[in-house]
Amino acid sequence: MNGELRRILLEAAVILALGVVVGLSFNYRLVLDVFGGRLTAPAPVTADATVDLYPVPVDLQRLQTLLGQGALLIDARAVELYAEGHLQGARSLPMGDWVNQLADFRAAVPLQTTLILYCSGYGCPDSFDLGVELLKNGYQDVQVFEGGFPEWRDAGLPVDKGAP
Amino acid sequence: MKRLETVLYHFSRLLLGGLFLYAGLIKGNDVTAFARSVANYQLLPYSWNYLVAATLPAVEAIAGLLLVVNCRVRPAAVVLGALNLVFMVALVSVILRGLDIDCGCFNPDATSKTSPQLALLRDAGIMLLVVLSYWLRGRRPA
Repeated sequence: MNGELRRILLEAAVILALGVVVGLSFNYRLVLDVFGGRLTAPAPVTADATVDLYPVPVDLQRLQTLLGQGALLIDARAVELYAEGHLQGARSLPMGDWVNQLADFRAAVPLQTTLILYCSGYGCPDSFDLGVELLKNGYQDVQVFEGGFPEWRDAGLPVDKGAP
Repeated sequence: MKRLETVLYHFSRLLLGGLFLYAGLIKGNDVTAFARSVANYQLLPYSWNYLVAATLPAVEAIAGLLLVVNCRVRPAAVVLGALNLVFMVALVSVILRGLDIDCGCFNPDATSKTSPQLALLRDAGIMLLVVLSYWLRGRRPA
């Protein structure tokens, strides 16, 4: 019986390992991107819309480094929330209205700019979804600060008020 | 009695396997969205949310498939039982911390929300299926 139990546990471990290997082989690029804090493949400048690009997540520490290097903060929340308080230096580009504002945005922000998007913190998908759209529209370095406004504010970092 | 056991065994393994096969495939289909669901639990270091999101759906799908095809049922049930136990601990921690999040158990893009309390109840039911599949498989001829 002991041998039987050992066999079951061993096979369970094999199933687990197999799942990990399969999962990683399908998603190794995403995992590498995240752990490297960057996009691995240099974003191909191509009109191939079938290539799925995803914004890279950054934490607060990395965000501050990138801001020191000239990255631009993008607030993906509604304009009302932006007016109530936003990360200092952030530009508003609401997820709900990006289609209408994209032309102006592109005119003002060069495609090579490192963009860091945020919204209302974990559980808020807008910054990520907007990041996907900006990547599709030619921006090459798009990252997402998932802690968003709450994490920034709670860390005591400077917050600005006022409409865009 | 034997007949009832047979029916119960196949019912348990098919339901359990089908459930996890479905959960694995639907989450594996949108790994980044699932990573957001994992991040909502605020349990793991930042990048680990993505590591879990990249691997967990495949483990669920493979173990689920094995149960569905009636192969390596007991090891697969052990894997799913262990995962389910981890999910339950995570859900309890969410309830204790008062986080208001979707459990992210199935479709990460679902518009409706499953509360941690409801998810915990569901996981208790899943645990019963795990026990039934494991135990009844042991009572059947090899």
